[in-house]
Amino acid sequence: MSPHIRQNIAYGALYTLDLAKSNFAVSVESIPIAIKDNICTKSMPTTCSSKMLQDFTSPFDATVVELLNKAGHTLVGKANCDEFGMGSLNIHSVHGPVLNPHSKDQRRSAGGSSGGSAAAVKSEMCLAALGTDTGGSVRLPASYCGVVGLKPSYGIISRWGVVSYADSLDCVGVLGKDVNYVERIFKTIALYDHRDPSAASPKVRKQAATECANLLARCTTASNLSGLRVGIPQEYFPSELSSAVVEPLRHTITALTERGASVVSVSLPSTPYALSAYYVIASAEASSNLARYDGIQYGLRVDPPKTADTKKTANVYAHSRTEGFGPEVQKRILLGTYALTADAFDNYFLQAQRVRSLVRADFDRVFRARNVLVADSESKDDDASAVDVLLHPSAIQTAPRLDEARAPGDLSAYVQDVLTVPASLAGLPAMSVPVQPAEDSWPVGVTVVGQWGCDDAVLQVGKIIEEIEVRRSV
Amino acid sequence: MFGHVGHRFHLLKRWKTRHIHSLRPLVPDSRWPGYGVVVGIEVHAQIKSRQKLFSNTRNAEPDDPPNTLVSPYDAAFPGTLPKLNPVCVELGVRAALALGCVIQPRSAFDRKHYFYSDLPTGYQITQHYAPFATDGVLQLTKSDIPVRITQVQLEQDTGKSMTDRRRRITSVDLNRAGAGLMEIVSEPDIRSPEEAADYVRTLQALLRSVGSSDGNMEAGSLRCDVNVSVSKLGERFGTRCEIKNLNSVRFMTIAIVHEIRRQVAVLEAGGSVLQETRGFDEEKAETYALRSKEDAPDYRYMPDPNLPPLLLGEEYVFRVKKELPPLPNVTRARLLALGLSERDVDVLMTIDADIDTEYDGTAKRGAVAYFDEVSQGRNPKTAVNWITNELLGQLTLKYPSKNPFQANKVSVAQMSELVDLVSSKMITGPAGKTILRYIINNDSSGMPAALAQELSLLAVDDGDTSLKQWCEEAIQALPAEVTAIRRGNVNVINKVLGRVMKLSRGTADAKTAKAMLENILLSK
Repeated sequence: MSPHIRQNIAYGALYTLDLAKSNFAVSVESIPIAIKDNICTKSMPTTCSSKMLQDFTSPFDATVVELLNKAGHTLVGKANCDEFGMGSLNIHSVHGPVLNPHSKDQRRSAGGSSGGSAAAVKSEMCLAALGTDTGGSVRLPASYCGVVGLKPSYGIISRWGVVSYADSLDCVGVLGKDVNYVERIFKTIALYDHRDPSAASPKVRKQAATECANLLARCTTASNLSGLRVGIPQEYFPSELSSAVVEPLRHTITALTERGASVVSVSLPSTPYALSAYYVIASAEASSNLARYDGIQYGLRVDPPKTADTKKTANVYAHSRTEGFGPEVQKRILLGTYALTADAFDNYFLQAQRVRSLVRADFDRVFRARNVLVADSESKDDDASAVDVLLHPSAIQTAPRLDEARAPGDLSAYVQDVLTVPASLAGLPAMSVPVQPAEDSWPVGVTVVGQWGCDDAVLQVGKIIEEIEVRRSV
Repeated sequence: MFGHVGHRFHLLKRWKTRHIHSLRPLVPDSRWPGYGVVVGIEVHAQIKSRQKLFSNTRNAEPDDPPNTLVSPYDAAFPGTLPKLNPVCVELGVRAALALGCVIQPRSAFDRKHYFYSDLPTGYQITQHYAPFATDGVLQLTKSDIPVRITQVQLEQDTGKSMTDRRRRITSVDLNRAGAGLMEIVSEPDIRSPEEAADYVRTLQALLRSVGSSDGNMEAGSLRCDVNVSVSKLGERFGTRCEIKNLNSVRFMTIAIVHEIRRQVAVLEAGGSVLQETRGFDEEKAETYALRSKEDAPDYRYMPDPNLPPLLLGEEYVFRVKKELPPLPNVTRARLLALGLSERDVDVLMTIDADIDTEYDGTAKRGAVAYFDEVSQGRNPKTAVNWITNELLGQLTLKYPSKNPFQANKVSVAQMSELVDLVSSKMITGPAGKTILRYIINNDSSGMPAALAQELSLLAVDDGDTSLKQWCEEAIQALPAEVTAIRRGNVNVINKVLGRVMKLSRGTADAKTAKAMLENILLSK
């Protein structure tokens, strides 16, 4: 087992560095990659940035880690993150916060929960990184740090060995210096794994690939996009949206139009309800998935004091769990538990699931390609209002300042997810690509969203946007 | 996506309608005059699969040391996910079909949340909202009453925990964590403790016959929770109490009787019965309160987001039905039709009921199967006689503490040849018994014909020469007996006959020998 050190390394990005691999030589075959600390590795600890698992090393590697090792890539270390994936600023971590590498002068957030992964890529500790995205946790830090961040279709990448936050929403995501690196890593790990019961079957992957190929056939070259239809969802410009992010998006839209793409406005009317639905579902599933942390089989164990009541199991567990979980995690567990109680179940959990169906239906209505997961769905080749991909600002602002005092009850941290959660609820592929910042020079991203299984189309359109940006900066 | 959640409410609606039209009336009983009893039973049967329900860990056997059959998934390690074992599903479907259930084409898995030391995940995966089978019926064997089955569902078993109260330590063994269970829920159609016992025994035999479970309460592969309520005859059903942790049919019956008397006493005193969960104290033979309705936990049932719905198509169900081993009543009827007596059939089937099933539902080789093979092309009554009287008799002598048939090493071929030798009179009956005893006592794999030769037991085929010789020798040896016979005490001839048999080492034919003796001794 390689020796590793625990320390906050530059920006607090990597919490564990594999010393044997830290002086890596970049080769065509072997890409240096950081792994978010909620993905299991045998050779390095997996803490999920939590006191609960601070000394935990998994007895097995996650499937994605096995695949990367088999392909000969170099795993340089474990990346800092928000505890158990819960957070949008990477400030809830037992290893301390992650600093956005864009500027050393201002202490700003790298975004969360995969802030460490994004910062590691941005500061060139590695060329790519794995993260997880449940409600925006790859796309948001990618946008704030100015790197590429892909959340693939739900079910495409194996979750075996990925510590569960919310099973119906969790996706392994890929961050990278550019779309090419992201694409290479994605193709290495996007394989069917029988150990993951939620993995999309080979049959369904094939069907989606056909839809995707049809779409790509329409856009012949990067300079001639006359076959491409891009939708701009009108509900994705809430009042909280900062002007710093709107201008760069406008430039991108203009550039695409100049190359022949049709850019149209579309409507996804359920969008305003998506954020609440997401937090109910994610918190409910989190309260369930985190019930296992009791300090008995593994993890932090705090012995109850001698005077404690030990007759009920829950009373014994409470000591470990109160000490082991940070305040944000505790908050979500309590809210999620409430949402599942007999009294609240219908009004919160079931209602949120109904909203989720509406959000899914919204997307299926605007996409030309059919959703192969829905029986009897049809592609809309003749529908003039249907689009191939959606395009929208990745975040409502640039990276927030870390020292901005947050009053209790301040919900602004949650509002950051408002643009990312709809694609999470619908399980769709979405990728944030950095575009030239406007005002305050802090990184800005635009997100491309595709129909389920059309990850390839999202990657190709992302490449086009990247190429546009390269041209602009020349 | 969560349509199955609404389904449960439809189930309840249907039950209420049936409630009005077809509920069995209360049955008067002299033990509690003026009152009637209503009992419903929930059975948890361990599925006899090689591997657990959601992981490919081998299922534990009694000899396995604790915590040696635990995978990262079973111990709820971070990053692990469930994978459904299709063998568990098939064995569950077999049981449900044997109970005449409707197999739901679409069912789903839910999480039942609570904290306990034997539950590493903090939740149990079960089928709360949409079980895979509903609406069956079990016909009781003794009283021929039908008891309706509400549903059958798949769920995970917990580990085992033991608390040492003095040292304030709880020890946990996770070998059983994640093993597959079938929960079989009956409607409250049972009307007496005896019917309850009949229900459980009938269910046990049925589960074993289709290979789904050993159904052994003492060994822990079958657990019962019993719901009991009483009410005055002619009145509406009373409040029910649940009794848990019953370890044998006998204790269950005692517990039910005690609970009935307790509830009747409460009502007679003018009080009302509290809805409670109660345990059973085996030493005191009493039930005692565990928790009340107010303390009942909210399990926060949530559909399991990892597991897709369980789809059971018509073709699949048809195939499982076709391959079902025969049910006990069918086997019984078949054996009786062959001409076997009720007693013989009982013996064969009781032996089989007592033998554990094979893993993964593979066909069991029990006493009935043995009989079927030996009786191929032979007289079934002769075959069954040799098996139930001679073979089992000898085996019980040699292995008094075991199920005699499980200790049997006499092969079908050996048994068949033995029966043939006796039927063709190549050896006598007693000689046959001798050979059988020899085979059993010496664990011999030798074939009976060869052994008969070896042990000089072949019937002598020299006309009457040897027989005459033995008779004369016996007469010579027993002068007092001969005198008694000639004086008119005819029965003493059996003693002489016995000597003849001994001299012939069992090869003489008893009938012929007796006739010859009578001829010699009585006709002069």
